[in-house]
Amino acid sequence: MCLRHFTHRLNGALSHCFVTVLMLLGSTLAYSAETPQRVVALTWEAAEHLVEMGITPLAVADADDYKVWVVRPALPEAVLNAGSRVEPNLELLAELKPDLIISSPALDDLRDKLERIAPVESFDSYRQDHNNYETARQNYLKLARQFNHLDQAQQRLAEMDTHIAGLRQQVIDHFHGRLPEVTIIRFSTPAVAYVYGDNSMPQYAMDLLHLKPAYPLPATAWGITQKPISELGRIHEGVVLHIEPFSQKDKLFPTRLWQAMPFVQNHRFATVRSTWTYGGVFSVEYLAESLVDALLSLQPE
Amino acid sequence: MQVTHTEAGSPSRPLSSITPGLLRYPLTLLALLLILLAHLQIGSSLSLNQQWLALFDFSSQDFTVLQFRDSALPRVVMGLLVGAALGLSGSLLQQLTQNRLVSPMTIGSASGAWLGLVCATLIAPTLAAEHGEWPALLGAMAAVGIVLLIAGRAGIAGLPIVLAGMAMNLLLGAVASGLVLLNDQYARNLFLWGAGDLAQMDWHWVVWLLPKLAVGLLILAFAQRPLTLLRLGSEGAQARGMSLWPVMLVLFLASLWLTSVSITAVGLIGFIGLLTPNLARLFGARTAFDELLYSTILGAVLLLTTDALAVLASQWTINLIPSGAAAALIGAPALLWLSRRKMSAEDQRGLSLPGNIERTITPLGWVLILSATLAIALLTLCLARSAHGWQLNWPSPLVWSLRWPRTLTAASAGFGLAIAGVILQRLLRNPLASPDILGLSAGATLALLMSAFVTGGTIQTAGGPLAAFAGSMLVLGVLLLFGRRHQYAPGMLALVGISLMALLDAILQFALAKGTADSFAIMGWLAGSTYRVSANQAVGLWMGVVIIGGISLLFHRGLSLISISDGVALGRGLNLTRIRIILLVLVSLMCALVTSVMGPVAFLGLLAPHIAAILGAKKVLPQLLLAATLGSVLMLIADWVGRVMIYPLQMPVGIVASVLCGVYFIILLAKQRCA
Repeated sequence: MCLRHFTHRLNGALSHCFVTVLMLLGSTLAYSAETPQRVVALTWEAAEHLVEMGITPLAVADADDYKVWVVRPALPEAVLNAGSRVEPNLELLAELKPDLIISSPALDDLRDKLERIAPVESFDSYRQDHNNYETARQNYLKLARQFNHLDQAQQRLAEMDTHIAGLRQQVIDHFHGRLPEVTIIRFSTPAVAYVYGDNSMPQYAMDLLHLKPAYPLPATAWGITQKPISELGRIHEGVVLHIEPFSQKDKLFPTRLWQAMPFVQNHRFATVRSTWTYGGVFSVEYLAESLVDALLSLQPE
Repeated sequence: MQVTHTEAGSPSRPLSSITPGLLRYPLTLLALLLILLAHLQIGSSLSLNQQWLALFDFSSQDFTVLQFRDSALPRVVMGLLVGAALGLSGSLLQQLTQNRLVSPMTIGSASGAWLGLVCATLIAPTLAAEHGEWPALLGAMAAVGIVLLIAGRAGIAGLPIVLAGMAMNLLLGAVASGLVLLNDQYARNLFLWGAGDLAQMDWHWVVWLLPKLAVGLLILAFAQRPLTLLRLGSEGAQARGMSLWPVMLVLFLASLWLTSVSITAVGLIGFIGLLTPNLARLFGARTAFDELLYSTILGAVLLLTTDALAVLASQWTINLIPSGAAAALIGAPALLWLSRRKMSAEDQRGLSLPGNIERTITPLGWVLILSATLAIALLTLCLARSAHGWQLNWPSPLVWSLRWPRTLTAASAGFGLAIAGVILQRLLRNPLASPDILGLSAGATLALLMSAFVTGGTIQTAGGPLAAFAGSMLVLGVLLLFGRRHQYAPGMLALVGISLMALLDAILQFALAKGTADSFAIMGWLAGSTYRVSANQAVGLWMGVVIIGGISLLFHRGLSLISISDGVALGRGLNLTRIRIILLVLVSLMCALVTSVMGPVAFLGLLAPHIAAILGAKKVLPQLLLAATLGSVLMLIADWVGRVMIYPLQMPVGIVASVLCGVYFIILLAKQRCA
């Protein structure tokens, strides 16, 4: 009897606890279930991810430059400029009263100030010691979970994978199964170029297309390394693709040395239309598209 | 090649000038040949023999042969030409001004050319790519013109021209960074040009540059007589029936031309022009012609050597090392070492600012100034732009909590830098002295860049204030060490500043040349921003500045005596060395504190004391107080302008203050000269 009484009391206490825990859980769940409505993205990657998810951010840092440089996915006209990516306008953010601010480790020292304005979610961005593409993919899913868009997000990623697989088949067909090695560059001056190496988005796009690098370079934070253009002469077999824009074509392309480059001699050089190379996960898809278009313009051997 | 031309061109050279050069010239030419061959070995995969054959093998389409002929070889020739041009240009400038600290870099022509090209690239990119030399030349001429105007005839031979040149560098640098920060992506490719790189893809630039350097031969042929006469002093020259000014002007322009075309061809390469003539003298070049000719050859040797090192370093690491950065890395310490004995305290030429106004500030004046200060402070706090346009009201608690730390930081920084400026100007008895010139800010910034580089973090997160503080104190250590040997001569102190700033510039350009997003983070910090300052840091800075300011007030009597003359100070029983050290330490502490919290701010420490003097604060104590008040107000205004000017983007307060004060300063000086 006594024992029963005790167990009853214990039960009561336990259930009381349980209820409290449930209530607490419920409140946090309710909090997280309430999807943020007014979101500010302080990085371009986050802005891309939001737009791809069908969410229009309230404001994006450097929104005007985004429209010029990133272009795809297009930012809706209504999106406000939240100041620069290095120094977002805190007073403007305070005035906008967002319910979520998406930040990055580069802005960690602002976290205190940002948290006074709204909850802050920080997503890792470009770094030398991790896989930039995998990180972007994870970031996208994490963000989707926060907005209860996980299913759509996974579907969108699957679409991207299918799309890239289709592109890959196109390239394989075009080159009759013998894929060339490829190096992607962006001209800096008529004498120096950025070469995209390991851990760059273009190289991840190449990986997904099963293309091997013709001029392998170790991983760097942004995946780019500056090289004198004459260095490119070491590429004997591969294809070289350059990403637009390059305003000084006339100074480089007619030179004897450029004309003697093995890839120019063998007509293994093509132009990729202007595409953003430091973006979020879907920038890889857009890059793959542009790369394949450029590759298809080359004659198969 | 140049040697034979010039020797034929000046048969009247006295025999005595050949004798000491007899051994020196063959040795230097041999060194030139060796470094040339070594450079080609580093830059090409062909063996020496194959290279020789490749020279005459015009039909070959082999890539390595072409790489040698169209890339490695033009690079070496370019190094030869640019090095020779910079050496000659530097030697000519130094002989014209009779000032061994003068060079294209130190008198502002290099930064003028850089700004000219930045502007052209932003306004008309295609035009800049095709005809960059004209905006560069225009920029260089304008900058040097203003510097000469500031220094005046008497100042050309002394420290004033160098200080004016440095002021010009600071101002133009601030304007250029502002433009670059505003134009983010567009400006990326400029960074590499700014770092100076000799990489070539064909003979285009060599062919472009070669005829333009013909001016150099004319200089070698005809400059000897006027330069020799100039050594007698311009009065002596006139006595011999020669009016020197037109000739000097032509020679000056010729020197600028050489610099501008070199800069257009390869970008900014500092130090060669400064170091070469000094080395030439060290190796025994004595007569005017000897110095010109020897500097020409030596310049080529120096640039080729540094460029060979840059190419080697680029092969070791995967990163590209710009030649200009390599030159400055070697040049800055070399300059310090070279000049360590030669500076003395008497290097003080007249240079005055319009500060001697017969007016003393009245109590009413104080009341007016203080109430204006309060009104401006209130206005900068309450008037702001928002998403709905302009607003004039007391900020909400949230906005207030975001706004007051930066406002307080700006005001405290202005307060501190103004006090540091007054002390420094009185101490060095030089109205152009300012905290930035001692290189304290440069030291702080360097340390910060290094710590970011070592820890691999961004400049905002790496070590922060602590590293900056350590950097400033290190510079102070160097200053005290060098200074003791020279009785803390102003010239010596300025020299340390120049070297450090150039070193900073080199490392900076190297970091920026990568053109990644990190480059912009670095530029943002260098612009001097109050944006990231926390409430604690703001209060800490304010307290520190007030305490150091309070201590320096205690030394106002000593400062008054020193600012009259050393003799007067000694006569009154002052321990001159001790009080100099104390005041110097105070100034350094102040700079370290301000720089570590908010990054560098130029010109404020220079200008605030002057405005105070113009308003009538002539004695040390009132000048200290008034300058501190004015410094705070100026910074408040700059911070406010930075917040509203390009809303919702923001301009760092440091840049705004530097440009505002710098422009005012230049106008002030120019007006005085023209009057």
